[in-house]
Amino acid sequence: MESSELARFEAVVLPHLDAAYTLARYLTRNEHDAEDVVQDASLRALKYFDGFRGEEGTSARAWLLAIVRNTAFSSRRRQRPDEGMLEFDEAQHSGAVADEHPEAALLRGAAKESLGRALDRLAPEFREVIVLRELEGLSYKEISDVAGVPVGTVMSRLSRARTRLQQALRDEEEGGP
Amino acid sequence: MTHPGFEAQLDAYLDGELAPVDARELEAHLAQCPECARFRQERLELRAAIKARVPAFQASDALRERVQTALRGASRARAPSRFGAPVVWRSLALAASLAVVALGSWRLALRRGAGERLADAVLTSHIRSLMPGHLTDVPSSDQHTVKPWFNGKLDFSPPVFDFAGRGYPLIGGRLDYVGGRSVAALVYGRRQHLINVLLWPTGRGPTVAPATETRQGYHLLRWTTPAYVYWVVSDLGLAELQDFAQLVQQADSAASGPAAAHGLR
Repeated sequence: MESSELARFEAVVLPHLDAAYTLARYLTRNEHDAEDVVQDASLRALKYFDGFRGEEGTSARAWLLAIVRNTAFSSRRRQRPDEGMLEFDEAQHSGAVADEHPEAALLRGAAKESLGRALDRLAPEFREVIVLRELEGLSYKEISDVAGVPVGTVMSRLSRARTRLQQALRDEEEGGP
Repeated sequence: MTHPGFEAQLDAYLDGELAPVDARELEAHLAQCPECARFRQERLELRAAIKARVPAFQASDALRERVQTALRGASRARAPSRFGAPVVWRSLALAASLAVVALGSWRLALRRGAGERLADAVLTSHIRSLMPGHLTDVPSSDQHTVKPWFNGKLDFSPPVFDFAGRGYPLIGGRLDYVGGRSVAALVYGRRQHLINVLLWPTGRGPTVAPATETRQGYHLLRWTTPAYVYWVVSDLGLAELQDFAQLVQQADSAASGPAAAHGLR
């Protein structure tokens, strides 16, 4: 690869390194893993850069975040399973949130849990839509591209994730000082 | 509690993602439903709490340097890129996350040409729909439930038929994103097999007769009516799938009037 090509890559991709690190940080929930993911994802991005150039109307930010997301998920699979977290199952997690969910019961029990911790405890598929929307400011369509699910699924996951966080917030206030 | 199914709509509204026609309907409902109005208020409070208390992070200088060093090393080590062609990055991203279809999607992603890419996108949509929880957004065997569900979610109203009487029951519908636009996906069953019908409006005019191809063990049929581009994809046997496609064509042309009933055998 020519150095001008590398320079072009850096100009397009490096401005989004903070966004990449933020997503990696919330997906791995760990500073060191997040840095590894960002480095691996940057190398993958360099490799696929030609492919990105061919696509119109795709933001470099969403493109990089998709790679970060997939890098984080495949490294998660290699490592220990997430402790204290339920395996994600769309059917199970699709239940009306008003029902007393095992997870909701768990949250209810652990009153005073901070919002950040509540986010960490969400299944990664819920956590990522919150981070992509609330912290990275992506549109539903961009989130759909990043997470590889239809826009309708983005919409329902985001809504369920918010309802869980809201419950945590409520518990926190009730049990607060 | 709010009204079932309303929460996601309201969230989409607050995110500025709801179609104007739905947004107006929702605003009218909010004005006369205190419970939903309270739900809205809670969501706004949650948003403020997230903004205030869930931080975005910054990559440290050390990480930036580390990344740049790695990039320089990799770009020196690499021969001129082997990936010369435009690549569907979504396929790549999906391949990285889905070990099962990874190999196939790699090959898919490297193929060239817009038609090829569209077939790839249709097949990817089908495979993704087979994963748990991805099949339908509106699971229903009632065409009069599925069709109106698409209202306001697409810029067209897809024709929806049920062929339960012919052994192809309607299972439901979902939104999908193929070839750079939102499309309607209708799901039908045949014994243990699932059939995806993807369609979107065409501006092309003349009717194109069905074309068939086979990829990774799946059959893809496509044709164009005066109004729509149709793709049908399934692992069902080709003869049965063609039989099914013919049912769809007949129903579509009957629905769109005698003027459109041509090009069928």
